[in-house]
Amino acid sequence: MIKFGKGNLRIPKWERPVYIVAGGLTDFRKKYPEKNSCQLVTEALRMAVEENQLKVDPEQIRRMVNWCVYSQFADHFGDQLLAAAKVHDYLGFDPLGNIEVKTGGATGGSSVLAAAQAIASGYASLVPVVGWERMDEVSTKVGNSYIASAACKDFESELGWMYAAYYALMAKRYQYENNVPHESLAKIAVKNHLYAHYSPFSQNPGKYTIDDILKNEVVSDPLTFLECCVMSVGAAVLFLADEETAHQLTDQPILLKAICGGSHTLRTADRRNMPILLLPNETEATYHHFLEGRRHEWPGFSSFLAARMAAYLAYHMAGIQDPVKDFDILETHDAFTISDIQTYEDIGLRPYGRGREFIDSGEAYYEGKLPTNLSGGLIGTMHAVGATGIFQIVELLWQLQGKYDQFHGDPKMWTRYGKTKPADWKSLQVKKARRACAISHAGTGSHVTCAILEKP
Amino acid sequence: MEWPTARLEVLNEEPLVVKNPKTWYHIHSYGGWGRFFKGLRQKIIMATRCTNPTCGEKRLWLPPRSECPDCWHPMEWFEAPQVGTIFTHSVVTYPGELFKLPPGTPLISVEIEGVCTKLMSWLKEGQPLFGMKVKAVFNTEKPTNTILDLAWVPA
Repeated sequence: MIKFGKGNLRIPKWERPVYIVAGGLTDFRKKYPEKNSCQLVTEALRMAVEENQLKVDPEQIRRMVNWCVYSQFADHFGDQLLAAAKVHDYLGFDPLGNIEVKTGGATGGSSVLAAAQAIASGYASLVPVVGWERMDEVSTKVGNSYIASAACKDFESELGWMYAAYYALMAKRYQYENNVPHESLAKIAVKNHLYAHYSPFSQNPGKYTIDDILKNEVVSDPLTFLECCVMSVGAAVLFLADEETAHQLTDQPILLKAICGGSHTLRTADRRNMPILLLPNETEATYHHFLEGRRHEWPGFSSFLAARMAAYLAYHMAGIQDPVKDFDILETHDAFTISDIQTYEDIGLRPYGRGREFIDSGEAYYEGKLPTNLSGGLIGTMHAVGATGIFQIVELLWQLQGKYDQFHGDPKMWTRYGKTKPADWKSLQVKKARRACAISHAGTGSHVTCAILEKP
Repeated sequence: MEWPTARLEVLNEEPLVVKNPKTWYHIHSYGGWGRFFKGLRQKIIMATRCTNPTCGEKRLWLPPRSECPDCWHPMEWFEAPQVGTIFTHSVVTYPGELFKLPPGTPLISVEIEGVCTKLMSWLKEGQPLFGMKVKAVFNTEKPTNTILDLAWVPA
């Protein structure tokens, strides 16, 4: 679709407020043979009900649940179709109704959206959103091939069998159009590996220099290994509730002001030109020079219309005027350094073509204007695909509740996962954080959700 | 009854890890897009165009689509030009399993005049550059019967 009708841009609304009350995670590993998927989701669920200072005991919480949403990207990986039925059974939620959501890398975000719809409509009052992925049953090479099955198998997958290659094609074009030095991309990798260093949940922490990133082995030119997300095993759980239930469960409920979705063609190459859909902080003048001068096409290969669409709807739904000003913390789907820069533009942190300024200016760092991916993101901490979008919101929930230190700084959290808390650990708790945003993203931008959380 | 003879190989005892082999194949139909793949055997690139007079999109679609996503009208087949320009490119050093091209092959996206989409493909000769003119070549000797039977070389 390249022309919008009025109905296409209708701003969604909740019939009643939606709250997030608790979150839980496992740690994330490349291989996790010690625990099967049912054990991993149970571990994350137990953390949600036992370690979030809830006012109701776990057994009572079980009796309050009335609908469940499951989030797993690929049956290929787990080699278990209808895995949700098995997980639902092992979590002891039978015979409650449930659905399993699948929208590629954005499965986690879409699952939270589905749960929010259930709460907002009145269909349910307490919904666990349970996500996981088991990516260690096959070799990395086969895993990449499975992931590339989420490109168009008739016209695209054969050309690489590797998602990094599809992002590399975008990266090359983006750099050609916008003259972005590789150093700017590398800064994102340095930042997210570093933030992962402070997280006991992280799979690929590291203190790297820009030079380390640039000199790292290339996966698909120009992207190096350290610029790409990890392939993980692990789980994440969130509980969403209506207002009454939220207050029954916790003294610190967080509002889910909005979560909206957008989409675009599975094949990047099928994206036709169209006028830029403007966000509240942009006007025609924002792009006057840009469109006339250098750029004849949008979204082209460099922009994610799906992310722009999701942000457009969510910003209007939550009354966001200027994302950098209005948000205190952000989690993006940093599958690759390039996609992070692209997303900065799609969600209006900078106008199109100037995304690098967000990282170059220092705004994206802890104690910057809008700290981004303090969790360590997908590059540093995890990408157990079905869990990813949920993991992002769990981390934001804890930030808004002021619980970063509880879950990241307690030495027992580190020993729980067989790790030692680093001597140079530091708190990434954002002080007085009130509003947060999470972007969940699939394919080369086939599905994107934008979630906005707010401390009441 | 006898116990089964097929067994799963044990890779690790604690935790118990077994190897579960998969050896079957999928029988995949290209359906309404088969004409494109058959066209490659005859050294032609078949694309589709919406012929609904009220539809705003008059350009060719490549990869082809059987129905127009703008108006849901059936599309018709037309031959696409065999020259284009390189829109973007990358060399994949670590491809996934099933990759059939030689290591170091440049992947390219080709812009073709009169086509509303771009086409992902590969460069069979030379080094890719932005805006480089390329022409199509076809694997008709031993076709793979995949999109790889179409490639491009400098024009």
